[in-house]
Amino acid sequence: MRRLIVRKLLEALVTLLGATLILFVLVRLAPGDPVKLLLGSGTDVALSDTQLLDRKSAELREELGLNENVAAQYASWLKRLLQADLGSSIYTGRAVGEELAERLAATFALSVSALAVQVGLGMFLGTASALKAGKLADNVIRLACVTLASTPAFVIGLALLSLFAVTLGAYEISSEASPGRLWLPAATLGLLGAAQFARFVRAQLLSELGRTYVLSTLARGLDRRHVVRHALRNALLPLVTMIALSLTALIGGAVVIESVFSWPGIGKYALDGIMLKDYPVIQGYAIVMISLVVLIHFVVEVAYGFLDPRIAGKDKAEAL
Amino acid sequence: MSKLNRPAALRLHNLQVSYTQNGRPVPVLGKLSLALGQGEIVSLLGESGSGKSTIAKAMTGLLPPSAAIGGGELIVGDGAAVDLTVNGVPWSKLRGRKIGLLFQDAQQALNPLLTVRAHFRESLRFHRLASSAKEADGIGARLLAQLRFSDPTAMLDRYPFQLSGGMCQRVCLALSLSLKPAVLIADEPTSALDTVSQKEVLDLLRRVREEHGVAILLVTHDIAVANAVSDRIIVLNRGVIEEEGEARAVLSRPQAAYTRKLIASRSRIADAPRRSDEMPTASEPVLEIGRLDKSFHKRPVLRQLDLTLHRGDIVGILGQSGCGKSTLARCIAGLERPDGGRILYRGTDVVRLRGRARREICRHIQLVFQDARASLNPRRTAVQLVQEPLRYLRIGSRREREALARFYLNEAGIADELQERRPPQLSTGQCQRIAIARALILQPDVLICDEAVSALDMSVQAQILALLQRLHRQFGFAMIMISHDVRVLRSFCHSIAVMNEGSFCEVKPAEALHLESRQPYTRLLLQCAGELEAGLG
Amino acid sequence: MNMNKLAYNSNRPALSLLAGLALLGLLAVAILGAPWLAPHDPLKQQASERLEKPSLQHPLGTDRFGRDVLSRALHGGQSTLLASLTALAAALAIGLLVGLLAGMFHGSALDAALMRLIDVLLAFPFMVLAMLVAALFGTGLVHLLLAVVSVWWVSFARLARSAALHAKSETSYAAARVLGASSASLLLRELLPKALGPSLVLATFELGSLILSVAALSFLGLGSQPPAPEWGSMLADGRDHFLQAPHILLGPALFIVLTVLAFNLIGEGLRDRLDPYEKSDV
Repeated sequence: MRRLIVRKLLEALVTLLGATLILFVLVRLAPGDPVKLLLGSGTDVALSDTQLLDRKSAELREELGLNENVAAQYASWLKRLLQADLGSSIYTGRAVGEELAERLAATFALSVSALAVQVGLGMFLGTASALKAGKLADNVIRLACVTLASTPAFVIGLALLSLFAVTLGAYEISSEASPGRLWLPAATLGLLGAAQFARFVRAQLLSELGRTYVLSTLARGLDRRHVVRHALRNALLPLVTMIALSLTALIGGAVVIESVFSWPGIGKYALDGIMLKDYPVIQGYAIVMISLVVLIHFVVEVAYGFLDPRIAGKDKAEAL
Repeated sequence: MSKLNRPAALRLHNLQVSYTQNGRPVPVLGKLSLALGQGEIVSLLGESGSGKSTIAKAMTGLLPPSAAIGGGELIVGDGAAVDLTVNGVPWSKLRGRKIGLLFQDAQQALNPLLTVRAHFRESLRFHRLASSAKEADGIGARLLAQLRFSDPTAMLDRYPFQLSGGMCQRVCLALSLSLKPAVLIADEPTSALDTVSQKEVLDLLRRVREEHGVAILLVTHDIAVANAVSDRIIVLNRGVIEEEGEARAVLSRPQAAYTRKLIASRSRIADAPRRSDEMPTASEPVLEIGRLDKSFHKRPVLRQLDLTLHRGDIVGILGQSGCGKSTLARCIAGLERPDGGRILYRGTDVVRLRGRARREICRHIQLVFQDARASLNPRRTAVQLVQEPLRYLRIGSRREREALARFYLNEAGIADELQERRPPQLSTGQCQRIAIARALILQPDVLICDEAVSALDMSVQAQILALLQRLHRQFGFAMIMISHDVRVLRSFCHSIAVMNEGSFCEVKPAEALHLESRQPYTRLLLQCAGELEAGLG
Repeated sequence: MNMNKLAYNSNRPALSLLAGLALLGLLAVAILGAPWLAPHDPLKQQASERLEKPSLQHPLGTDRFGRDVLSRALHGGQSTLLASLTALAAALAIGLLVGLLAGMFHGSALDAALMRLIDVLLAFPFMVLAMLVAALFGTGLVHLLLAVVSVWWVSFARLARSAALHAKSETSYAAARVLGASSASLLLRELLPKALGPSLVLATFELGSLILSVAALSFLGLGSQPPAPEWGSMLADGRDHFLQAPHILLGPALFIVLTVLAFNLIGEGLRDRLDPYEKSDV
């Protein structure tokens, strides 16, 4: 078991390294002077004093090691990353790392509650659909899910927003991350995710229900409830992967919903950064997102090792 | 054994079942009735498609949704008659407690994520036969001990994937018995097992009947299995009972033509007249295998194995599952690379060859697989399939290839009208014929048959073996015939090599094997096979 | 009747497949026939008819320049679909090739290297990458799709590799090897046909997903820009006037929903018919 964890950890680190390399290359490929990118063109921020701008440019050039070769630049950039130094926002002047940390909680709150809705509602609908496979209830649920899954998130978001905020006046329009404002964006994201998740659950469950051990459990006299519970438990393994992928999708895709509902998470932060051409913000956002994804994948692989006795057992057998 | 005063353990009246295929109902069973006396072992003997599995599933309410029950009444013990055509049958009370069901693939029948212990706990506590987990564990351990597990407590903590096929079947048997059913239906419980495990399971079924008084309905296609344990035999053909009666009587004095046909096919395999042609005089060896070693995940599968094959030889390799015979076949055919040793084809060590050179050897060494259907691409026609090797090795023009393909198909018994068909439209026996034609089109010097007839019905087995015999005489290739079933090898091969744990424990001429063998393992195999057939005419 | 009701009888006509194909057919006709079917010129501005609600003359209303939304949507469909299909074809081709090679040479250094590469690229969530590209290289559909393809092929590669590994474990593959097939033959005649089915199913789902993602990005202002009559840019246009004139946004959104729905239905229908292998390795 320990060998599995160590191996997956190493893989995760290599992946992270590779991803940061690609990020670095991308930024270097972008047209324009990287210093200008990171400091702004001087016209829109408080560096209108050209002398100050020149001095800051020179400092930054030195700091970034732009006077050295590419490999050294990458190394020094990496070193700064490891020290959690993500640069400073052009617009606000504050450390990007700090600003991201402040908003991360909001995004997490949104993503996690949306995930809860997605998994809860999705499991329910998917299971109901599978157990009544081929009947009217199944077809209705499937049609509803597939239509919902075909709808852009912002359409649902805008519709619900205008319904609850404008028509019903039950939702407050502001930029605060207050708990009272969490439910609608979370419900929106969760609803869309549930539609996708339900389809997946249905397919997995139907596949399990066709296996021989289901038949043999029935043959021993156990009732449907027991059998379905077993099938669900066994279908859970790939579901764990799906849930993890959903989480990464939610964190990344929450951008749109954060935009529609003015929810102050990291997605909206990055979006604003793009509009303002605040490159350190964008870069910092990318790094945080990539790290989160790699972390989640790592946790999933290890969890799989625990949940599936065949994987855990293999390691044990090899060690003997 | 007078059955007059004791109520039958199970009675089935007028069962009618049809399946819906492509929208139309296809009848499978028509008004079938049978009865099982208390503590009786009855074999339901029939080939594939006879409807025997359908009967087992109908009696436990486990038919697939595409089936329709047109009629049928089930009476278990002294209970009330159950009408199988209406809803509301109290299956929870019948399944497990009154009627147990054993499946063919025991490993698949166990929940892969649950330990054996968990299986016991669940069943026993659901049926309230145990009031605590510990009690359930105790019952489980006792039954496992009865079924000859040497360490029952350790077995409780195993997962299905850690057990062999035979062990899984014994676990399933223990699980079924823990619910104390009056009747046990065993659906082909031994067909996935090799001879030794087969005999083990069948012996246990007999013991179970003695110690628990369970009546057993044994569904099988194998006459030897029916012969080994049954009190009575019911012969089934296409949903109709051809004959039934006391086991000895049915097998030695069959009344129905179909029964006679079944028994005849078995004889064709097991008691075929000894080979009339002489053993070929020693010519230069075609295949020389020396000190072959192969391990998987640090576990040795082949150990220092030696084998020599001359032109026209037919060598049988007899071994049980796990002995490494399939690995040997794969190494010779080039599918696996051995870790050590050499395989000389006419002096060239094929182990050292790579790429194009190795592919050239494919013209000389060919392999026929156990699962004929799986080895054929279902989207291609028979003619296309047989031409494949010619295409791969770029032999001949398109017209030549097709002509050759048709020739070999005819030789293999696939008539012109069938040659444009695809595997889904052909029977398993026909699929194996195509596979054989495909292997022979390259005119190999060595043909390896890896359990090539094990998955076939008895009558079809006999046909395919006859085909191989004829082709061998006609084309003169050397054959390696791999099987776990000594009956198949005995009449067919010149010599038999007995394989155990990765090497040959003895190699003897076929006739001499059971007479002269002193090897304990060989004697065990032969004894098992013999006991299965004791009394068969 | 006393059956095992939990088992699903999958001998049912593929309703979703037919419905999906029918819907797609309708849409294709409408979109490809835009030059003839559209009631108005998509680029013609009519200041007098600004922001009109849907009416008989303008079935989906007009936008802030007085342009007919329906006509713009019909014409816009061509560029959206063309761009999406091109990107899909590219990603599918690359993914299949890489995935099959990795599967074919499973266990070798090539396979390990490719798997690492796939893992690295998978670490970039789609949105993040799109935002990065938009920020660094400017907005616009072409940039976006290039970025998309460079990461998208990975999903197809993983699936193709999985399918290849599964195919390799089958007896027919072993038979082909014994019969003398070269690596190229094995790849083309044994692995590729078996990988195509699941790949097509994935492709239909992914295409729908792509259209939705591009729509989302355009909505955010990062995708295609006005005045081109492309669904994405129409969304960006319509966002600002959503509360007064929701039809500007909902017009293209409707087309998007119908198109993605069509592809999803086709995908589900295909999957039911092809009966793909169930357990693919993570």
